[in-house]
Amino acid sequence: MSSKINGNVSPQQCPHLLDFRSRNGSKPFRALQDCIRVKPPGGRAAIRREPSEVPGCGTCEESSRPRLYACVACAAVLCHSPPLHSHASTHALSNPGHEIAVDVDRAELFCCVCRDQVYDRDFDSAIVLAQSINAIATATTSTSGATAMQCNVAGSQPENLRKRRRVDYRPWAPDSREHVIIGNHSILLHDATNASLISSTELPRGLRGLNNLGNTCFMSSVLQALLHTPPLRNYFLSDRHNRYYCQQKNGAFNGTKNSILCLACDMDAMFSAVFSGDRTPYSPAKFLYSWWQHAANLASYEQQDAHEFFISVLDGIHEKVEKDKTKSRSPGSGECCIAHRVFSGILRSDVMCMACGFTSTTYDPCVDISLDLEPNQGGSGKSSSAKSHSSCNVEADCKGSNQNCGISTLKGCLERFTRAEKLGSDQKFFCQKCRVRQESLKQMSIRKLPLVSCFHIKRFEHSSIRKMSRKVDRYLQFPFSLDMAPYLSSSILRNRFGNRIFPFDGDEQDASNELSSEFELFAVVTHTGRLDAGHYVTYLRLSNQWYKCDDAWITRVNDSIVRAAQGYMMFYVQKMLYYKASEKQAAS
Amino acid sequence: MKHSVNRPPTPDGVVDQGKEPTLQEIINIKLIESGEKERLMELLRERLIECGWKDEMKALCRAYIKKKGRNNVTVDDLVHLITPKGRASIPDSIKAELLQRIRSFLVSTAL
Repeated sequence: MSSKINGNVSPQQCPHLLDFRSRNGSKPFRALQDCIRVKPPGGRAAIRREPSEVPGCGTCEESSRPRLYACVACAAVLCHSPPLHSHASTHALSNPGHEIAVDVDRAELFCCVCRDQVYDRDFDSAIVLAQSINAIATATTSTSGATAMQCNVAGSQPENLRKRRRVDYRPWAPDSREHVIIGNHSILLHDATNASLISSTELPRGLRGLNNLGNTCFMSSVLQALLHTPPLRNYFLSDRHNRYYCQQKNGAFNGTKNSILCLACDMDAMFSAVFSGDRTPYSPAKFLYSWWQHAANLASYEQQDAHEFFISVLDGIHEKVEKDKTKSRSPGSGECCIAHRVFSGILRSDVMCMACGFTSTTYDPCVDISLDLEPNQGGSGKSSSAKSHSSCNVEADCKGSNQNCGISTLKGCLERFTRAEKLGSDQKFFCQKCRVRQESLKQMSIRKLPLVSCFHIKRFEHSSIRKMSRKVDRYLQFPFSLDMAPYLSSSILRNRFGNRIFPFDGDEQDASNELSSEFELFAVVTHTGRLDAGHYVTYLRLSNQWYKCDDAWITRVNDSIVRAAQGYMMFYVQKMLYYKASEKQAAS
Repeated sequence: MKHSVNRPPTPDGVVDQGKEPTLQEIINIKLIESGEKERLMELLRERLIECGWKDEMKALCRAYIKKKGRNNVTVDDLVHLITPKGRASIPDSIKAELLQRIRSFLVSTAL
């Protein structure tokens, strides 16, 4: 029998199971459906005729046998205790058609003649359905219980994920020979024999204020984040999009045309200016003008939403691709343009019919993840700003368990985002198997992580009913290092199904596991003030120092200031692409 | 199961068969009925994972399957393989903890 369970190859069914299925119609395990009992502590499924039944072997009349099996054909409960005896096997051999049984404590199918576990899709989907329903019911009645379960999910990293990574992350420092090679082939940027010491007056390269051109803090905040997004910065600084070449190629210098609209060219110009070493604040007027042309409906001097700006900039860079037929158009693959190569990931959505367990899966590319804050905060009656300083110390204890501490955390939002959710009765989903609209469970997970994850916190609530919008000021705690493994499809599905066959085809062992799931925070866009009159500020993390970028003013700040800030957009980059300041090396 | 045709009579519950139940049997039923067995099982699972016992057993199974070939191994083979080693390698602290729990349960149900 083939062994791969979770995903690719389904186990070969033993002849007795095949036989049983063929003799018992389309729903051979229908009678067992009502006997599935799921116990809250672990979410384990058991088979009991009555909820309080104490199963015992019909032959030896003992309930203390470790393995008890219920015959699927006649409901007889018998023990299986090799090498002493197996009343279950005796029963199977003397009653043809009674070979298949179910382990009453584990809800797993067993063939008493082959003496081995067997798997059946319909049976497993019924079990999983019962477990999912139970998990939802538990979550709604007792939130701390569910969070505890989610904590276990978030805390452990599946072995497979670790093993499948092709290359392990290893820190590297040059040895003496390599030092010489590096020295001979490079030009020092500044006089620093000790590269690890940065004087307090010295700002790192690429830090330059951006002038406010009239309520453009939404733009300067996002631009600061983009200017220091490692893969994006590397792309432009290594001249991968040469603005002169691009303009010329698109016929800018011929005739009377001024310049072709290309946000990537404007971005290239900005990178050159910002990393030139000039410290006077830069005015991104050209970029603003180009962006206005791209997003005409947002062209005004009114305040705009930073997130909306971010999305439209990525869109603007992508649009150029339409003209280039050689590149693939699909954002999901990340091959189309640098914007998607850096930010695009793939989300997986599973919708499971609550009547039959049939699940429909869809994949959608996304350039960021928008997260809701908790609807109502039970624990923290205190004001958010007062709590924020004490919350720094609490971080270590809380991990993912935000409910106990009463503060919202980014991890808590991600757990909620990937939690199985019951769709309302007004959102019934058409089940292909039942051929009618049924109530369903929906669960999101991340199939492929982008190089840079942008988390957008939905702080602005627009209510079309009441014709008003409001801002949610609640403090959100976010970590400096984030492991996204628990939110990957492979983890979510493995935790949901355990050792059951997926009732649908899982194919999770590819793209998501190639790169690491560990991320480092490098930029935070914060918002202070009201919905209509507020201000955006970006905090950047360079060489393990935090800098506050408030339009034209850049100042160095402490960790704690950043932790206490009201995060609106958080940018995390794959740990392997993140350069931390190196420790002072013992060898040199 | 109610609709199955070839169905021998449903076996009755343990007590009515005229055979005197053993002490072990009585305790087991009491544990299950009160829900204590389920709680003890969960506790045991947690402890065995924490101390690495589960991983050890898993590694044993994997090694065995690798040796025999995955198409030639049944659940019974694996149970037979790890039962003696598993029982022998349970840390004493876990045994003590569970025995203590069972003891206090027995006292509280006033058998």
